[in-house]
Amino acid sequence: MDQSEIDALLKAAGTQPAPPVPSTPGSLGGHEVEGRVISEIDAVTAVTERETNKVMDQLDLISQLVNRQQALITEVMKQSGAQDPAVQEAIHQILSAAKEIQDKVFGAMDLMQFQDITRQKLERIVFHLRQIHDYIVELLGTGLKSEGERASISRTIQNTGTTPDEKKADADAVVEEFLRSKNKG
Amino acid sequence: MKILIVDDSSTMRRIIINTLSRIGYSDVVEGDNGKSGLEKLAQGGIEMIITDWNMPEMDGLEFVQTVRTQNPSIPILMVTTNAAKEDIVQALQSGVNNYVVKPFTPETLKEKIESLLG
Repeated sequence: MDQSEIDALLKAAGTQPAPPVPSTPGSLGGHEVEGRVISEIDAVTAVTERETNKVMDQLDLISQLVNRQQALITEVMKQSGAQDPAVQEAIHQILSAAKEIQDKVFGAMDLMQFQDITRQKLERIVFHLRQIHDYIVELLGTGLKSEGERASISRTIQNTGTTPDEKKADADAVVEEFLRSKNKG
Repeated sequence: MKILIVDDSSTMRRIIINTLSRIGYSDVVEGDNGKSGLEKLAQGGIEMIITDWNMPEMDGLEFVQTVRTQNPSIPILMVTTNAAKEDIVQALQSGVNNYVVKPFTPETLKEKIESLLG
């Protein structure tokens, strides 16, 4: 995502991107910059989540349409005029294609997990920014430390990829080992 | 079978709800953090919990620990990005019955739910 896309997203969310803060000697202005960066990251996250849900709405709609189409075709199959083997074969092929579309729609919905993972990666960046902000405040003895509780962050989030079930085998092994030792004890 | 889904991401809740409906579970209640999860649980009728870990206000671990003081037997599945071994062990020690690391496939979610429901 380039800056123009981020700006467009922020504009759509009603949050204008902050103008760059000039760096003047003797004036850090750091607290404001960090606070602004954090609120911009939050805005991007909120907009991305909202837009992802819009994509999900569209996929839901496609899924419903495919369901309706399948029901209609199943009804057509029962008609006396549709008993010809060639017609039945064609209808089966249409139903098979409809199922394939449905599977692809579900697959696309499942891929939307990337949004949550990206959100958490951004949350990790916010966490580091808040640490820098608080460090500067403590160092200079001016300004206020970060307030407001945020969600805890996965310590492995930076290594989380987008391939589903990438960590399944490892996690299952830990669960199995735990349950085995629990049963023994 | 009424299932409680607790996750601060509305996208994630939707994906889980969608997967559940595909495998025949459509009676779902939602919470966006541990606190709201406890409120929904108090309303009664919940037979299984699927919860995230990293959430504001009350995280999934605290939520699970609180649930276990009230209900030692309700099946709990944790679905999270936390993939470190020590995290998984901590969750299991807190009372989670099984664990799924995001991103997951619907087949994995189905497998875990069915194994929990026996």
